Amino acid sequence: MSGDPHCEKLREAGAELALGVLPGRERAEAVAHLDGCADCREYVRQLTGIGDRLIGLLPESEPPPGFETRVARSLGEQAAGPEGAGRRASQHLRGRARRARLRLAAACAALAVAVGFAGWGIGTVVEGATASPPAAVESEPVLVGDMIPAGGGQPVGEVYAHPGSPAWMFVSVALPGTPYNGRITCLLERADGRTTRVGDFPVRDGRGNWGVAVPVDLTGYSGTRLTTADGTVLATARLQQGRVVTPET
Amino acid sequence: MIFRGERSGGRAIPWRPSNVYRGVTGFRFPVGRLPDEALLSGLATGDPELAVIFVRRFQHRVFGVAMAVTGDQQLAEDIAQQTFERAWRHAQIYDSRRGSVTTWLTTIAHNLAVDAVRARRTEPMAPEDLDPLLDAVTETPERWALADEASTQLRAALGRLPREQARALLMAGIHGMTAQQVADVEGIPLGTAKTRIRTAMARLRTALTAPEGGDHVR
Repeated sequence: MSGDPHCEKLREAGAELALGVLPGRERAEAVAHLDGCADCREYVRQLTGIGDRLIGLLPESEPPPGFETRVARSLGEQAAGPEGAGRRASQHLRGRARRARLRLAAACAALAVAVGFAGWGIGTVVEGATASPPAAVESEPVLVGDMIPAGGGQPVGEVYAHPGSPAWMFVSVALPGTPYNGRITCLLERADGRTTRVGDFPVRDGRGNWGVAVPVDLTGYSGTRLTTADGTVLATARLQQGRVVTPET
Repeated sequence: MIFRGERSGGRAIPWRPSNVYRGVTGFRFPVGRLPDEALLSGLATGDPELAVIFVRRFQHRVFGVAMAVTGDQQLAEDIAQQTFERAWRHAQIYDSRRGSVTTWLTTIAHNLAVDAVRARRTEPMAPEDLDPLLDAVTETPERWALADEASTQLRAALGRLPREQARALLMAGIHGMTAQQVADVEGIPLGTAKTRIRTAMARLRTALTAPEGGDHVR
């Protein structure tokens, strides 16, 4: 970077560029330079990170009453809106499960208030879900497992899978002593050994975490496997069924 | 916390016990304690329950950013709502390598707030409002004692900046003001405003990359 007049100019404007306040023409010139200068890109990346963290120092503030409810309702309406009838039809298909989940949410909100977490669930209404907790026990399955390295040993990560509709899963892994960078493949494994590829995910210095929607019925799977691109198994997890249960009230 | 297997022999994922919700059956509800990234990925699936939990978890921080930038409660509420709507629409493209969910959300809120203030073509901020904001971002009361080390370092480095540099930095970095606007508000030449912003950022960068976290740039 040193000595290059373009880099020197970027150095002068880098802070304003990173903070998003550089005027149009200067910004265009700076961005054009960044296209071909990795050092300056890194410099601006660092400054941008500082700008982001600066925003993170701003004090929290209490939103107006009802904000949470309004936003949640808005998200619910949008979820029903863009795809129109098709998506709504899909929601009807999973209506029973959804209603059960909404009751679960209401029950947990009431439970949270009951045990003193007042900020946790006051006034929440989504898609007409009642604030009154149900009398019956509500439960839903979850699948969880520890990631065990291929050679055995202590867990190096966790899997949390939510077999609802839509299903989704979250994986975190930290492979000790493995400075592996790149993408690893996540597979779901059935009891008979058949697998379904979930996707490829980034790992940096052996560490990574990701969440993803899974378009399969998760209840048919008993394990998860992480492999490198050449198929080498890095870690496996045996999925166990857990239960989420709220009390009768 | 999640229990695995049967009640008698189940094990639990060791999430913080202070955040566990216990029922009379002894089972516990985990969804509200999902990691931020997991919650966001669930949000991307359109699950309304997760949407509520997501909003509940981040609303104070998002609203705080919007209020700090706009100083207008009604506008801040609109911006905070837009932030969550945007996050919901774009949850599937969130990349954890680029920063935490909190950083991602606050950046969205900040960009929306700055754009809204600019669109109103009003003064981005009242100069007298800047010093309380500066005090807020540099304070180090006990409640920050458990904050992550990097945030503590940043607060300390901000606190060590000359006041005029810190003001210029907040005007640009928080209120989205150009160097020319900073110059106008402070009554200084444009070049001086640019220098203050640049020098402040350079000092923070040095402070955050120094081995001992010290700020030795003068």
